[in-house]
Amino acid sequence: MKLRVVWDATAPPAADATEGAMRIGVYICTANPGNGGGPNLESVALYAANLPQVETVRSLGVLPKLDPEALADDIADNDLDRIVIAGDSPGFFKPAFTRAMSLAGREPEEVRLASFREHGTGGERATERAKAIAACAVYGVPFTLAARPSDTKWTSAALVIGGGIAGIQAALEIADGGKKVYLVERTGTIGGHMAMFDKTFPTLDCAACILTPKMVAVGQHEMIDLLSYSEVESISGLPGSYRVTVLRHARRVDEDACVACSICSDVCPVRVPSEFDAGIAERKAIYIPFPQAVPNAYLVDEASCTWVQTNGQKCGVCAKKCPKECIDLDARGDVLQLEVGSVIVATGYETLDASRLDRYGYGVHPNVLTALEFERLTNASGPTGGKIVTKTLKHNKRKKVDEWVFDPEGESPRSVAIIHCVGSRDTNYNAYCSRVCCMYSLKFAHLVKEKLPDAACYEFYIDMRAFGKGYEAFFERIQDEGTFIIRGRSATVTAHDEQMFIKGEDILSDSVVEFPVDMVLLAVGLVPAERSDELARMLGIPRDDYGWFTEADYNGDPTGTERGGVFVAGVCQGPKDIPDTVAQASAVAARALEGAMTGRGLQSLASLSLTDIEARARSLVPASQEAE
Amino acid sequence: MAIRANPKLIEELEPYGAEDVMKCYHCGNCSAVCPFSKDPYVFPRKPMRYLQMGLEEKLEGQLDPWLCYYCGECSDQCPRDAEPGETMMSLRRWLTSRYDWTGISRLFYRSWRWELGAILLVALITAIAFTLFGASQGSLNDYDGANAFLPSSAIHIFDWALALVLLAFLLSNAARMWYFTMRRDSTLPVSVGSYVASLWMLPAHFLTQIRYSQCERKGPWLTHLSLMLSYCVMLVLIMFFLAEMASGPSVDWRVHALGYLATVGLVVSTILFLRNRLKKSAAQYRHSHESDWIFLALILAVALTGILQHILHRADLDVAANVTYIVHLALVVPMLALEVPFSKWSHLAYRPLAIYLAQVRATALARSHRGEEPAHRGAEPAAPLRTV
Repeated sequence: MKLRVVWDATAPPAADATEGAMRIGVYICTANPGNGGGPNLESVALYAANLPQVETVRSLGVLPKLDPEALADDIADNDLDRIVIAGDSPGFFKPAFTRAMSLAGREPEEVRLASFREHGTGGERATERAKAIAACAVYGVPFTLAARPSDTKWTSAALVIGGGIAGIQAALEIADGGKKVYLVERTGTIGGHMAMFDKTFPTLDCAACILTPKMVAVGQHEMIDLLSYSEVESISGLPGSYRVTVLRHARRVDEDACVACSICSDVCPVRVPSEFDAGIAERKAIYIPFPQAVPNAYLVDEASCTWVQTNGQKCGVCAKKCPKECIDLDARGDVLQLEVGSVIVATGYETLDASRLDRYGYGVHPNVLTALEFERLTNASGPTGGKIVTKTLKHNKRKKVDEWVFDPEGESPRSVAIIHCVGSRDTNYNAYCSRVCCMYSLKFAHLVKEKLPDAACYEFYIDMRAFGKGYEAFFERIQDEGTFIIRGRSATVTAHDEQMFIKGEDILSDSVVEFPVDMVLLAVGLVPAERSDELARMLGIPRDDYGWFTEADYNGDPTGTERGGVFVAGVCQGPKDIPDTVAQASAVAARALEGAMTGRGLQSLASLSLTDIEARARSLVPASQEAE
Repeated sequence: MAIRANPKLIEELEPYGAEDVMKCYHCGNCSAVCPFSKDPYVFPRKPMRYLQMGLEEKLEGQLDPWLCYYCGECSDQCPRDAEPGETMMSLRRWLTSRYDWTGISRLFYRSWRWELGAILLVALITAIAFTLFGASQGSLNDYDGANAFLPSSAIHIFDWALALVLLAFLLSNAARMWYFTMRRDSTLPVSVGSYVASLWMLPAHFLTQIRYSQCERKGPWLTHLSLMLSYCVMLVLIMFFLAEMASGPSVDWRVHALGYLATVGLVVSTILFLRNRLKKSAAQYRHSHESDWIFLALILAVALTGILQHILHRADLDVAANVTYIVHLALVVPMLALEVPFSKWSHLAYRPLAIYLAQVRATALARSHRGEEPAHRGAEPAAPLRTV
């Protein structure tokens, strides 16, 4: 063990030193080797030396091997009453210091931690933040307490942007905590992508069975104001009191009066691809995204509604037929002003546009499907009632063209190939791993094998990332079910005489394989939701190179952002699966409730200076010591 | 047999142009998009793996790099920017240096200064030697006739002597290539009959480069073919009809026509190649090794001085023609003596030889595998590839 003395009090303790004044030793060591870009430890050490009552500052280096007896000698020599361990993950070294304190006959409780990384020293002002954390530890004041200004008013209401599973979970938890939530959702219903899924991996639970009760709970919760078909237009103010302008698009159907009887939709003559069915089925211009939608009310898509497009010259038949007379085709949008304390961003993702990869023939060969299209195809509420069939060529009388469509009576595929990493881990598209595709691809293989036991199913993968709880077992299960798992990314999908061929290298046998398949599923990667850039600008939070919102600290604060009171949950922070999304959403709810409950919140790094925090820590000292 | 790994191999390959090999994560995309990658020669992923692992001897025994024409499809689609096409190109340079027993090739590929210096030195020696020789033979004022400065009969003898020396180098290197790829580590029984049966492939592939035409883009094949054919026509003319070419206006019209055609072919295709490399117009032109520039510049200079010499001769400017002749020879000799056995030109022997040997080996492999399951490809439905 090597102790490097950074600073020692030169003068011996004055004889007339205040009775009971503490003698404090600061030990700087870190458990995070190679953590570039962190605080300047030398500068932190010198700063700590100047804090009152600090008698000695020692540097132990990175990942030191601590000898409690030598430490005890050092403590006794310097007559220390309190030890501060400062660095990344200092708790790692706490046992050695606690032992040393008892060996030296001191109070073992007086070992304080200055946890740099855990309290977010990843940003630009890392050194200043680390100094503040060290100061709080020296004063014996929790950093979270000192870094919270006492005079900020914290509005208890929270705004949740995005009504997917992350937004739903966060909203429900905050509302269950008794605080007001405004949930803003861009589309006509909450539910997001999870509502489109058939099953979840690895448990093969029915996605809707988990999601629908939560959606209903959101719709009925007295503490949740569900603002569907709405968008956040602007946000201003400070942490704890944000003023939000929400643009409420004209739904043109009275949300409360509508009983979702479907008469309007039945008479509507317009047909457009359904977003909820990922475009493999059609909906009307007045529609409900899916039967379990929340709010359970129809809405008018102005882009396709004849009445809206012709300025009331044509059609309007739905309004005439509505038995509740709740359709107002001329309704205008509305603007809503909200006052909230915290903002939770849960805007989710989109899938990569598969037609960008022309070698897989998406959009050229009819039976090359994206993941979401297959989710809808295999879903019992999808256009084929959950039957996995290939597309059928049908004549569209309205458009007078032949079209490839899914028909419940269509032929079942004899073989299905699933291509992993479509646009992921690829410098030409997304360099990152989208994290969910391996597992959902395995789930697809299971669904194919379950519904079509005689069909051959192939998976082309680069590396199988089965990282979560139960995922490896799920992978083994899929292998046991007889899916052919080929290591190697498929390169091309071609077609000769309407028969598709897939080609790739089977790396483990060093051979190029090419064989016919009837259906190809593309495990497309995830990309940030459209207009995330706008939202990031509005909120003043940064995004990473790929467009995902940047958390305050990757390890220590994965839900916070650089802006106080603004939190991120779910895939909008980076690709993740449903369990992780839900966990992060719950964590975010706790953060919002923290502010709402105490009326105060942890300020952002940018808005509090070292002097502020130090002054506040000093003011808290007597109180905190009395409390002990 | 134990396999020896050379952990430094990847560093050794860097001067040959392979810089991004370590980026490869083996998705197999390159092997699958390559029009030439077929059992039993699946590349470029496998050679990249050998390179990452430092399997030097295994790489020396590979024919795969010579089966690649660098159409660039693999590099364009590579998800890691690992440049598999350029890696194959670098491996060809490295293999050339391995086949060459003199070590000169290695020196040239690793340092362009050495290559350029050697070329200049040979050029200088050639120029001085021919000037002295010419002065002792005739007069600088006479281009042809009895008193010619550089009489074609003497040059003819020199050409043949040079050709035999070069052939000796090239053939000994080719023999090493055969030994590395077919004999050293191979336990595969190869019958003499299969060597004979595929022998036709050598001239056929040499003259047509027909495999190159299987790449999606045909342009590079045509340019390459025109350069090679022009060169060969010129070579034949010089080796067999030098006297006719050098004689006065009464040149046989066939020699004349072929000569002009070959000259145009040489100039146009080298300029096209240079332009592509300058513009980096496609994946295969993005990374140019110094040896590529030297080679193209040398050929272009040889062709241009040849043309100039021809014009001056026709214009009866005998002194200028003789001087140009010296310059021309000073360029031709290093091009032949250094580029053919030791640098880029050598691939005109290695590539057809590799295609031929690959066929011989594939035949032998098929014979030894007879009775086993055929490879999964074509219209075999639902072949179990790997079930667990």
